[in-house]
Amino acid sequence: MVRSVPSRIALYVAALIISIYSAFPIYWMVVSSTRAPQSLLRETSLVPGPFTLEYYSNLLELTDYPSQLLNSVIVAFSVVAITMVFSVMIAYAVTRQRIRGKKLIVGAMLYAYMFPPLLLAIPIYTIFTKIGLGDTLLSLIVAHLTLTLPLGVWFLWGFFKNMPFELEEAAMVDGCTRLGAFLRIVLPLSLPGLITVAIFSFLLSWTDYTFALIMIGSDANKTVPVGLASMIGSFDLRWGEIMAGSTLIALPLFGAFALLSQYFIQGMSAGAVKG
Amino acid sequence: MSSKATFMSFLVIGLLITLTLIAAPVTYAITLSFYSLDSFVGDPEWVGLGNYAKVLASSEFWNALKNGLIYAFATIFLQVVLGIGMALVLNQVFFGRNVVRGLSILPYLLPTVVMVLVFKWMVDGSIGVITAGVEWLGLPPIYWFESPLAAMLSVIMVSVWLWTPFVTTAFLAAMQTVPGSLYEAAKVDGTNAVQRFFHITLPMLKPVLTVIILLRAVWMFNKFDVIWLLTGGGPVGSTEHLAILAYTTAFSQFDIGAGAAIATISFLILSLAVFIYFFFFPLDAE
Repeated sequence: MVRSVPSRIALYVAALIISIYSAFPIYWMVVSSTRAPQSLLRETSLVPGPFTLEYYSNLLELTDYPSQLLNSVIVAFSVVAITMVFSVMIAYAVTRQRIRGKKLIVGAMLYAYMFPPLLLAIPIYTIFTKIGLGDTLLSLIVAHLTLTLPLGVWFLWGFFKNMPFELEEAAMVDGCTRLGAFLRIVLPLSLPGLITVAIFSFLLSWTDYTFALIMIGSDANKTVPVGLASMIGSFDLRWGEIMAGSTLIALPLFGAFALLSQYFIQGMSAGAVKG
Repeated sequence: MSSKATFMSFLVIGLLITLTLIAAPVTYAITLSFYSLDSFVGDPEWVGLGNYAKVLASSEFWNALKNGLIYAFATIFLQVVLGIGMALVLNQVFFGRNVVRGLSILPYLLPTVVMVLVFKWMVDGSIGVITAGVEWLGLPPIYWFESPLAAMLSVIMVSVWLWTPFVTTAFLAAMQTVPGSLYEAAKVDGTNAVQRFFHITLPMLKPVLTVIILLRAVWMFNKFDVIWLLTGGGPVGSTEHLAILAYTTAFSQFDIGAGAAIATISFLILSLAVFIYFFFFPLDAE
């Protein structure tokens, strides 16, 4: 398309504004996390430096951050694994079999996806406290599954619906069982959908604050978001360490995005993501 | 194993898990709202609609409902307007477009806690970069968390920043599906860009926009973490909405029945809103 010079300039200015608007807080977080203490709390300069890694070493050596990171990893990976297994099973059965109330199941999933978090958090916390499993990573995993399972079923339902039946039927004509056709044909072909569900389940669990705040009480079981938030309430505000901890928890997400951006965009376009 | 048995075992196992995880807690929450209990291990006492009567008679409830609606409407409006605006820019052809598209998604990936902490650092009274910017512009200092208006503005700003990429990305993806020939034909007819946006892009994308607005509205109404972390509902309840009121009632005042009642009421309001929305904007039948 041929454009006039003023409209080209306006386009680049708009693109620049979008870039700065989107990236500046992140830039500022990383810059602050590496700025030496004497200037961090004294001057506000947009240019990075003087450079230091002392906040990162403080954070990893002197605080509970490493164990919180481990908790976050355990919870997020368990949530992703469980979500994948069960959402695939439900979504596949619902798309491939004539079942009465099929629409009801899918509709209920979409509806469940809209529940107020406290409508789930209050009873789950009460139940786990009553059976003596309050304040455990298990209770947090269960709470996160209430978000990720409807997401997985809804998204994979859309995915399986558009996958031709003929492939499985051909495999079954050739002597494969239904389960065999599912494992050998359907699962490999639905890999892109599975990756998308895995990414967004991970994102939900890894970034969750609300459920972690309610389910977890002890320092030993805190995940990173709750641990970081409690640093701001503490007696002396250690901004360098807080920014370093924020950078460390955001970095894996940016890394994953750089590698798998097409799946992120696919999921967001399908409205599959909560937030 | 027969085909049917495979399906049925899949379905039964999957649905049992889902029912246990979601339907059971919700049922339990609604049951709890009819009881009075002041600790999580104590014995509940039946009070019927007592909790509801108490909640609906309190001024905190109506204040929280009002704040929640202001917050939800303001954030949705800004997200949709900004998101569509950005999508229109990112849909143009220019050098470095993929980089800018990537950058525009980044806020969405950031954990809420991180963005809240970065915002608090940026508005720090003595050294924050926004504080310095405000001073450089010659404006009076803004006390972000002390004035009710500024506190509401801060939760709205942070929320819009975090979740606009959802609208941008979904709208941008949907725009690719509008056939280019429509625009060419409209151009031949001598329309300008604004007319093409309102007469082609918007009508073609109405179904997508319907879903986006519904999902965003539901999630903004339910949003707990941003407000809790930024203001805790303060100052003096000026940013307290239903989710925060339910949380503080159940977990700070240990009035668990009333907390469950507030959660149930917000669930009913939400269901009603979703129902009305679908009445006016039905989803395309598949």
